[in-house]
Amino acid sequence: MTSLGSSSSSTTEYVVRVPKNTSKKYNLMAFNAGDKVSCSAWTQARMERDMSNRRIYGEEESQEGAAGSEFGKKQKEESRRKKYGIVKKEFKVEDQPWILKVNGKAGRRFKGLKKGGVTENASYYIFTQCADGAFEAFPVHAWYNFTPQAKHRTLTAEEAEEEWGRRNKVVNHFSIMLQRRFREQERGDDDDEEGEKGGKKKKKKGGRGGDLRIHDLEEDLEMSSDESEGSNGEDDEAKAKSKKDKGPKGKGKKKKKKGSDFEGFEDSDDGDFEGLEVDYMSDESSSEEEEQEKTKPNKGEGVPKGIDEMSESEEESEEENKNEEDAKEEEEEEDGKKTPVQVEKKKKKDSSGESDSSEDSDIEGEAASALFMKKRTPPKRGGGRGSAGSSRTGSRPGTPSIDNAATSNTLRAAANKLEQGKRQTTIPSSETPAAKRLKMEPSPQSSSGKSTPQPVSGKSTPSASDVQLTEDAVRRYLIRKPMTTKDLLKKFQTKRTGLSSEQTVNVLAQILKRLNPERKNINEKMHFYLTE
Amino acid sequence: MSDKGEVDLTGAKQNTGVWLVKVPKYLSHQWAKATGRGEVGKLRICKNQGKAEVSFTLNEELTTIDTIGDKPSMVRAPREHPFTLQTVGGQTLAVFTENSSGQSDAEASGSGTGTGPDKIALEGLVVQRAECRPAVSENYMRLKKLQMEELSKPLRFSQQLEKAVTTNYKPVANHANNLDYERKKKEEGKRARADKHQVLDMLFSAFEKHQYYNIKDLVDITKQPVTYLKEILRDIGIYNVKGTHKNTWELKPEYRHYQGEEKSD
Repeated sequence: MTSLGSSSSSTTEYVVRVPKNTSKKYNLMAFNAGDKVSCSAWTQARMERDMSNRRIYGEEESQEGAAGSEFGKKQKEESRRKKYGIVKKEFKVEDQPWILKVNGKAGRRFKGLKKGGVTENASYYIFTQCADGAFEAFPVHAWYNFTPQAKHRTLTAEEAEEEWGRRNKVVNHFSIMLQRRFREQERGDDDDEEGEKGGKKKKKKGGRGGDLRIHDLEEDLEMSSDESEGSNGEDDEAKAKSKKDKGPKGKGKKKKKKGSDFEGFEDSDDGDFEGLEVDYMSDESSSEEEEQEKTKPNKGEGVPKGIDEMSESEEESEEENKNEEDAKEEEEEEDGKKTPVQVEKKKKKDSSGESDSSEDSDIEGEAASALFMKKRTPPKRGGGRGSAGSSRTGSRPGTPSIDNAATSNTLRAAANKLEQGKRQTTIPSSETPAAKRLKMEPSPQSSSGKSTPQPVSGKSTPSASDVQLTEDAVRRYLIRKPMTTKDLLKKFQTKRTGLSSEQTVNVLAQILKRLNPERKNINEKMHFYLTE
Repeated sequence: MSDKGEVDLTGAKQNTGVWLVKVPKYLSHQWAKATGRGEVGKLRICKNQGKAEVSFTLNEELTTIDTIGDKPSMVRAPREHPFTLQTVGGQTLAVFTENSSGQSDAEASGSGTGTGPDKIALEGLVVQRAECRPAVSENYMRLKKLQMEELSKPLRFSQQLEKAVTTNYKPVANHANNLDYERKKKEEGKRARADKHQVLDMLFSAFEKHQYYNIKDLVDITKQPVTYLKEILRDIGIYNVKGTHKNTWELKPEYRHYQGEEKSD
C-alpha cells in the first residue's frame, strides 16, 4: 500500500485480491427502506430455505404395487409427456426463497425471494477490506429481496370481499379483525372444548357466519364428534374468554349475522325474539329481524359500555327469554332437535352480538339440546354434561358482564343471564332450585319423567317427561358408553327434566363433579366414562 | 440439526462495512484467471477535498483477452477503471454467506444446499455502492465491438450443403434391425401352454405387484399364447372396459388383498 500525500488530496492505493477456492458463497440480503431493519439490533437469527414449493414439483403417483397401480404406468406417463412436449420445471433448491426469523418466536419474520437476472450481464462483487489493508473481492452469488411477513391477522380474499361490500355501513373497523380472530379462536377452541358442553354449542348452527356454512338439522343431533364452526365474536376479550365456554354456537350466529350486513348492530337482544316463530332453516330471516330490532349500536361503543347495557338488558329479558324459549321449545321439541335452541341462540347472539352472548348461547345451546333432545342417550351424557357445565361456568371469568348484552327471551339469554346472575346475584337463586331438585331426586325417585319440584322463577313448568337429571342416570349413561358433555346434555333436555337450561347445566356440573368420571379423547373430543 | 439455520451474526454486530461493486463481465472473466494469491490489480482512492475518487487498475498480465478457443486475440482489456460511487439509498443491504461443504445439492436432505450443514453467516452491511467502468479508450472500443459481434450471431442458423447427406442410411432389402427381430422370434418359438397352475402362480405374483395389467404385458410376463391366457384370466379376473384403467385386466375382488383395499377372501 503506497501513500502519496499532497496538500489538499491524498491518495492511497490498495491491492485488490480475488481469492480463489472459497467454499463460501456470498449473497446479498436486501431490505426495503421502509421496513426499518437494523441488523445490529438482531440478537439471534435463523434462516432456512422455504421448501413449501417442493410438493408442487414432486408429483408422483404415490405408491407402487399397491391397489390401483398399473403395470408400466410410469413409462406410459413419461412417453406421453415426451410426445406432447410437456417439460416440467425442476425444483431447484438454490432458487427457493429464504425464511428468516429474527429474535426468536416473538421477533420478525422475513421472506427472501431470489431476484433474477442479477448475474447475467454484470457481476457484483463485495469488496471487503482485510487486516493488511488490501481489498478482497468476492463475487455475489445471488441477490435476495427480503420482505417482512405480517404477523397480525389478515383477512382472506373472500372475507376481504365481504368487508369491502360493507365498507359504507361499517363504522367500527377495528371490529372486523376482532370478529375474525374470535371466529378463529372458536374454531381452535372447538378442538379443546371436547369435554365441555361446548360441543353442543358448537353444533348449534356453527355454520352461521361469514362463511355461511349450512347445517342440517340432523347434524345437530350427532354426537359430539361433529365439528363446531367458529362464529363471530364481537368483543375481543369477551370472545377470548368466552370461547372456552361458549363454543361456536353463539359465534356461529354472530358470524352469520356478520355475513348479512350486521356489522354494526351486534347488541340489543331485547325483546328481539318475543313471539317470533322459529323457522329452523331460516336463520337469515330471524337474524335480519334482529338486526332491525337492535337497540344498541354495538360497535361504536367501547366494550365496557356495551357490557353494562347488555347485562341490564339481559337481566330484564331473561324472563321473557325463558318464556319464549319454552314456547319455542314446545314447537321445536317436535323435531327433537337442537336447532330451535340454536336458532334461538343465534338470534340471541345476533342481537347481543357479544362474544359473551355466544358464551351464553353455548350454555343455552347445551341446555337447549338437553331440553330438546328426545333421545335418551346413555347416562354418560349426564356426567359429561355436568362436568362440562361446571367447567364452563368456571371458565367464564369476566365474560358475563361483557356478555350479557341484550339478551332476550332466548335460551341463550337465559343462559347468559344464568352466567351473570350466577356470578352476581342470581346465582343463589338459580342454584338453589337446582340444588333442591337434586336433593329431591334421590329421595322421591320418580320413575316417570322428571317434574320440577319447585318452579324456578321465570321457568315454565315443563311437561312431564321421563328423564330425571340424577346422579344415577348420569352414572348409567357414563358406564354404558363414553360420552361428551354435549351428548349428556342432549340426554337431559329441559323439557323432560323440568329444569331450565341453566339449571340443567348446573346440576349436571355438580353431578359430574361428584362422579368424577374418567376422560378419554375420542375423535379429538373429550369423552367421559365410568367403569364399574 | 439445531444449529442448522442459525445465522452467525458477528458481521452485523461489528457493523462491518463492505462495498458492493458492479463489475463488467469481461473484467470478472479476467479476474477469474488470476493466479497465485489472486491479486488482480490495485485500487486507488483519491480524497480530493472531500470528494473521493476511486479507480481500479488491472494488472498487466490479466489484460489479455481469450476469445473462444483460448486464443489470445488482438484486443486487450483496458487497464484503468474508474469507479462511480453511489449511495446505498434507503435500502439496507446485508451480505450473508453460505458455507456449503462443496457437495452437490441433495434433495434428500430436505434443506439448503449441500449435504453438509450450511453455515450461514452475516458478513456485514453494504456502506457504499459503486460501478466499475472502464476508462474509454481505443482498446475498449475494439473489445466491445468483438463482444457485440459474438453476441449478434444467432444461436441457430441454416446452412446450405453442397452434397446430399448419404451417411445416414442406405436402402436395403431388409434392415439389420428387422433381421434381428425375426431371428429372435424364431428362437423363442411359439409360446407353449404351460401348466395351468404354473400360469396361475405367475399371474398371482404379477398381480401382487400391480393391480391393473394390459393383456400384452401379461403375455409378455407369462409367455403364454394369448387365447390360453385369456381363458385363464376369464376365470380369475375381470376386464375393465371403462374408467381410468381402460382395457386392463385385474383380479376378481375375491382374489385380491391389497393394502388399502378391504380384504376379502
